[in-house]
Amino acid sequence: MFCFVGRCLQMSTQYPVVDHEFDAVVVGAGGAGLRAAFGLSEAGFNTACVTKLFPTRSHTVAAQGGINAALGNMEGDDWRWHFYDTVKGSDWLGDQDAIHYMTEQAPHAVVELENFGMPFSRTEDGKIYQRAFGGQSLKFGKGGQAHRCCCVADRTGHSLLHTLYGRSLRYDTSYFVEYFALDLLMEDGECKGVIALCMEDGSIHRFRSKNTVIATGGYGRTYFSCTSAHTSTGDGNAMVTRAGLPCQDLEFVQFHPTGIYGAGCLITEGCRGEGGILINSEGERFMERYAPNAKDLASRDVVSRSITIEIREGRGCGPEKDHAYLQLHHLPPQQLATRLPGISETAMIFAGVDVTKEPIPVLPTVHYNMGGIPTNYRGQVITHTTEEGDKVVPGLFACGEAACASVHGANRLGANSLLDLVVFGRACAHTIADICTPGEKLSPLKPNAGEESVANLDKLRFADGNMRTSEIRVNMQKTMQNHAAVFRTGKVLKEGCDKMDAIYQTLDDIKTFDRGIVWNTDLVETLELQNLMLNAVQTINSAEQRQESRGAHSREDFKDRMDELDYAKPLAGQVRKPIEEHWRKHTLSTVDPKTGKVTLKYRPVIDNSLDAEDCAAIPPAIRSY
Amino acid sequence: MLSILTELVSGVCQASWRPAVAELVTTRGYKGEAPDDSRGDLIEIPLPPWTEKDGETMDIKRRRLLFQSRKRGMLENCILLSLFAKQYLNTMTEHQLRQYDRLINEPSNDWDIYYWATEAQPVPDVYTGEIMDLLKEFTKNKDQEQRLDAPNLEYLDKGSQ
Repeated sequence: MFCFVGRCLQMSTQYPVVDHEFDAVVVGAGGAGLRAAFGLSEAGFNTACVTKLFPTRSHTVAAQGGINAALGNMEGDDWRWHFYDTVKGSDWLGDQDAIHYMTEQAPHAVVELENFGMPFSRTEDGKIYQRAFGGQSLKFGKGGQAHRCCCVADRTGHSLLHTLYGRSLRYDTSYFVEYFALDLLMEDGECKGVIALCMEDGSIHRFRSKNTVIATGGYGRTYFSCTSAHTSTGDGNAMVTRAGLPCQDLEFVQFHPTGIYGAGCLITEGCRGEGGILINSEGERFMERYAPNAKDLASRDVVSRSITIEIREGRGCGPEKDHAYLQLHHLPPQQLATRLPGISETAMIFAGVDVTKEPIPVLPTVHYNMGGIPTNYRGQVITHTTEEGDKVVPGLFACGEAACASVHGANRLGANSLLDLVVFGRACAHTIADICTPGEKLSPLKPNAGEESVANLDKLRFADGNMRTSEIRVNMQKTMQNHAAVFRTGKVLKEGCDKMDAIYQTLDDIKTFDRGIVWNTDLVETLELQNLMLNAVQTINSAEQRQESRGAHSREDFKDRMDELDYAKPLAGQVRKPIEEHWRKHTLSTVDPKTGKVTLKYRPVIDNSLDAEDCAAIPPAIRSY
Repeated sequence: MLSILTELVSGVCQASWRPAVAELVTTRGYKGEAPDDSRGDLIEIPLPPWTEKDGETMDIKRRRLLFQSRKRGMLENCILLSLFAKQYLNTMTEHQLRQYDRLINEPSNDWDIYYWATEAQPVPDVYTGEIMDLLKEFTKNKDQEQRLDAPNLEYLDKGSQ
């Protein structure tokens, strides 16, 4: 039986290794991973899905909103209008070929899901019911609110997972549940599979395959306050980084203005719609100063910025003066009970607060990662050099929140995320089916492939330094929260980069306490911390370098967008700036895992759609709503 | 005999997922409009029934349930169940461990567990019992603790691993 041998504390521990061969391996069983696994299995590929969670427990299950698609069931609609909304929403950092692909495919993808058995909510005439959602318009922004969000009551995410998981089982997809993927198996720049730890018995598994799809979700957990589950630890991004490949646009992190302080659970905008107000430590309704008309109902990024400025200027609430208060107790208790029942419960359960008597502590909260593993519109992972442009990494694909196709650019629109999952999960399956056939022979793999991953695992399992996993984690989270949150400015970002660098070094001094190998949660959370740190350093360094404000990245010292032309003025007579002199470009970041040093490069945005005649690309313009 | 019993229980559980056809999902108010849910996917695409793991020692069961309590589909459950596990997991009897295992591993929609714990929706018969009662009580947060986050794991570091 083949074993890796760990050498720690003068002990020689055996890690039995099991090798598997598959036509395709998908890492992650959320909406994107399941759609890819299902598509591959349906096409006859012997597919493995490796996941640290049971599929229906992936973070996709939290999604209650819906999927955007221009079906035109509520009023006339055209996917080109959805295309326009998404390009504009991305603040022209999105790649228009990928956005074209996604919005054009959206109706087909939804109908397909319906055929798989997803019970979309219906109108009285039996058509799929579609509702309004932020940022969705008709006629290129000139025709009013569009209703294109399809949903399954309030459990769209759950239904998606249940349907895809159930269907994929009929095609014999092999699920490896509660297996923690450690690293990619790369050889000569090609991805040959994945190595993972089986949590149930501590064995190591190498999944060899010509096609590896990464669908591991986002990394909200780098921040102190995020709406994400504790499973959002950027494992895929980190695996790609350790393989020496770049991640893209990690500085673009979306914030929701009101998450419960600390816990991070989302408090809906509906509270403010019902009359709730935000106050600072002086009891002042500060939104009156920042948005005299809209006040507490100003757009999300305005509210997020206002709260952050109040805290920065010393008017934050609580013992550490680090959050704001959402006051509801001036509203009649009857109104609270009937119109916002869930809020009262959540506030009591997670903040110990009785909303009829006290305000809820809130903070702008990390909600989504626009950035991730760079891919083309077909789901293939790419690298980029100035001389050769974009180049595909053979054998490697990515989809979902983990990927950056880029359809969301600098800012994501609501209900586009579930769409992203299904369209690009499907795209990965189609691309693999185009370039491979089932049963192809695998190229040989070095016998000791994955050795470093096991050595790392072994080292962490017996780590006996001075700083506990939880200490390092909270240091990282607080640094990100204080230095790279909504409000970004050069000096504060630079301090943050330096602090983060120092925190990265403390990983060498880490201390774990559980020496076991079966169901070792301490070890898994430490591996996740390593992954989070790689995401954190890239995020904060990318943010520090980007000297402009675009979408979710908001710099107080560089308030405007810095494009190749000044789109606020007439274009005639302007000279196009070269790429080195403007910021309408993607950031590509890499890290040396030993030192934590981040290197940044840039890559042009794709401004052409897939077919200029079918869908005209949208030239950049000033973004106003 | 045990296998017949298990099948019976699974059958009851499957049956409990078949709602009356015209049933409306209780709206949660703050999640916006929640149109009718036919639950067609749950009926037409049943997932393989959950089964108890054989041959696990209580110690291993506790370790597994700890991981499964801390890693949930959404934040609310991550915090609630990891705090609950911190309070109760290490002192649960074998019977309670098995109830808890079923509660957190069988339901396919994590939100359901949250709705049952917060008493927003009635608990299906198969999950009623000591553990569900403990969870409901725990959720009420009568001591009004600040539940800022899932607890760090180090409460387990007493050399008792």
